[in-house]
Amino acid sequence: MNHTEIAATADSDPRDEHDPLRSVDVIIVGTGFSGLGMGIQLARENNKSFVMLERAADVGGTWRDNTYPGAACDIQSHLYSFSFRPNPDWSRVYATQPEILQYLQAAAREEGLVPHIRFGAEVLDARWDETQEHWTVSTPRGTFTGKSLVTASGHLSDAKFPNIKGIDSFSGEIFHSAQWDHDVQLEGKRIGVVGSGASAIQIVPEIAETAAELTVFQRSAPYVIPRLDYFYTDAERGMFRKFPHTAQAIRDELFWGNEARFPQRRGVPAFIDQITETADNHRKSQIADPVLYKKLTPNYAIGCKRILISNDYYPALTRSNVTLETDGISHIEGNTVVTREGERHELDVLVLSTGFEASDLPISHRIYGKGDVSLADHWGKGGQAYACTTVSGFPNLFVMLGPNTGLGAGSIIFMAETQISYIAGALKYMSENSVSSLEVRAEAEEEYVKTIHDRSQGTVWLSGGCESWYVDPRNGRLTTLWPDFMSQFRKENGTFRDDDYVVRARSDQSQPILAGGR
Amino acid sequence: MKGSRVTFYPGVSQGTVNVDGVEVSYYDTGDKERGGAPIVLLHGTGGSAENNFAALLPMLSFRHRVLALDFVDDLPDSSGPLSVDHFVSQASAVIQRLSPGRPVTLVGYSLGAVAAAVVAAEQPELVGNLVLVAGWMKTDEHQKLRNSVWQQLHDSGSEALAEFMLLTAFSSRFVATRQPGELQKLLAGIKSAPSRARKMRLNRTVDISSKLSGIRARTLVIGCSDDQMAPIRHSHALFGAINDSRFVEISSGHAVVHERPAELFTRIDNFVQGHDSEDAGAVLAPVHA
Repeated sequence: MNHTEIAATADSDPRDEHDPLRSVDVIIVGTGFSGLGMGIQLARENNKSFVMLERAADVGGTWRDNTYPGAACDIQSHLYSFSFRPNPDWSRVYATQPEILQYLQAAAREEGLVPHIRFGAEVLDARWDETQEHWTVSTPRGTFTGKSLVTASGHLSDAKFPNIKGIDSFSGEIFHSAQWDHDVQLEGKRIGVVGSGASAIQIVPEIAETAAELTVFQRSAPYVIPRLDYFYTDAERGMFRKFPHTAQAIRDELFWGNEARFPQRRGVPAFIDQITETADNHRKSQIADPVLYKKLTPNYAIGCKRILISNDYYPALTRSNVTLETDGISHIEGNTVVTREGERHELDVLVLSTGFEASDLPISHRIYGKGDVSLADHWGKGGQAYACTTVSGFPNLFVMLGPNTGLGAGSIIFMAETQISYIAGALKYMSENSVSSLEVRAEAEEEYVKTIHDRSQGTVWLSGGCESWYVDPRNGRLTTLWPDFMSQFRKENGTFRDDDYVVRARSDQSQPILAGGR
Repeated sequence: MKGSRVTFYPGVSQGTVNVDGVEVSYYDTGDKERGGAPIVLLHGTGGSAENNFAALLPMLSFRHRVLALDFVDDLPDSSGPLSVDHFVSQASAVIQRLSPGRPVTLVGYSLGAVAAAVVAAEQPELVGNLVLVAGWMKTDEHQKLRNSVWQQLHDSGSEALAEFMLLTAFSSRFVATRQPGELQKLLAGIKSAPSRARKMRLNRTVDISSKLSGIRARTLVIGCSDDQMAPIRHSHALFGAINDSRFVEISSGHAVVHERPAELFTRIDNFVQGHDSEDAGAVLAPVHA
């Protein structure tokens, strides 16, 4: 399937005011991994109307947008996929972007989601209507109303640009890695890459080979461990197809392997020593030059920032046409990046691998709950949610992969599926009890969030001596990551219970009649 | 392992209890206002608390007070030949010292499960919850055969001893999928572990089958699918013998504490927290990611 085929063949006329999905039970925002997963759940249940609003022209989210050279997942594909849609045909342990995108496109198509999707329907504004008790969502494709709103807009979906003086006047080609400009020829060019995170270390080896010169601007050195990649044989893929339990066994093994890494994040010496040794050995075996080695040696505790996996990043940095610049960028003049030490790098192309808006989620600026308060204002001192999913003041809203759902080591799909289960439970409860408004109690939300912050004390993310997107700069709290075992996330947040909610039934506008807390 | 540095977890305290003239070392992660009953870990033939529980103890300690001890098998002549009862006395003494008047969750692994079952049967007031991991009740001919091969390799000083132990302790899939160098590391670990000779002799004679009906504690039996040392049928039998027990299988070799520590932790934690509120006799469903 090519890139826009889904949108071109299936979407209704954008001007159609009689679109049957203008008014639905559930509006899902986004068609990446989490949105599609939620959609599949609803499609399989087949008892609620729903529309999926997608700002782009295709499904796939992160895996549609990040098309940079070398784009691949850092979590093994047999784990980084829906448990309810196993794929025996993964070509290798760590699939690359095109294969993951194809997997998601096939999921959308085969699960019958395409007729539910409205492409080019970026959410401009979503408001809780207190009278009608529904969400009104404005998009370039018109207005949609839904009894419930599920935001599945991702936590790494909006590019974050660095604040560098003169960047707007850079005279060469410049783009963010998540908005890769494939029209720009890179062969024989002088290229700069800003950043040394997960995207940069995949891009650098790919473009180093043909660039005339490549300069990597590193703010802090990442820990890098070996990428144990491997192409599955035909025999193995056949086995996964014919004996699905053999693929499930691999998935389970990968899951529990990741789960067993959690004590690394809580500073347990034996665990820290082991992973630090792995990273040190990898660096030693691949970097001989002592100056380069020093530049690549991190100055913070391992795990404080994401641990990266790559076999070809370090070797790329040892090439004669590649320079690792660690002095920090002062400003940009014309086609030249000037470092704080005054060193000048003339460049034809500048690639910004500077990550994503993770703590101040852009969608939160477009969602307005009770009293017309925006979610961004409500989260002014840092994002938080009850069960990591619902927010007081925002009835019938469910936030997927929002506050405290990220992982230091593990598959985010596990977290998304846990939320799917919770939200599906809530929606079922709402329809069975004719619920018009479901809102978490503010005290319950505070109490729950306190347990998260208590648990995050003593983790390497807060005490490891690094600056990362895991911690919200506004309050110093760990607001993006889940600070416990993944199994615990599922135990706590996988099953809906009404105890901590204020519940109102349809036709009753005066007071809660089904209040939880029985 | 006396005097060695314990790397379990920052803040773990150590002490000893004198049991019939021998000093038994224990480890205590402290209460940390965690409420619930302490969890006591009993190690197996493989040697020491640290050896068996380097992963499990820290995981459990995030939520619970955890106690562990190192069994002493080098006993004075006056104590008579080593028996399960010696370990039972040592475990009981540590529980009574560190959790007086408060029943514990007793977790026994391998030979530690044998001892744990007897503690629960004979001193029910000490044990509220019982978890038997890769245990057995009566040594059978298959186990005696393996034990005999082990003995011959051991007595002849064979280089093959460590490899034989690796082969029998871990699941075949685990061994087959190790990265270069990892097997050498595991072999080195086996070679440097405390001697298991006395416990291996004891293992030949285990038979606690007459005691199991006396167990009143709420019990979780954990069997490992690819266990070649205490094959899973032994855990099936323990499940059959103990009245208030439920059963769960983990996909692993006997060395589940190394192969699947997080799954083991999760099952124990769920059981203690009452999350898997299965009734007696229940077989818990597998958890898939």
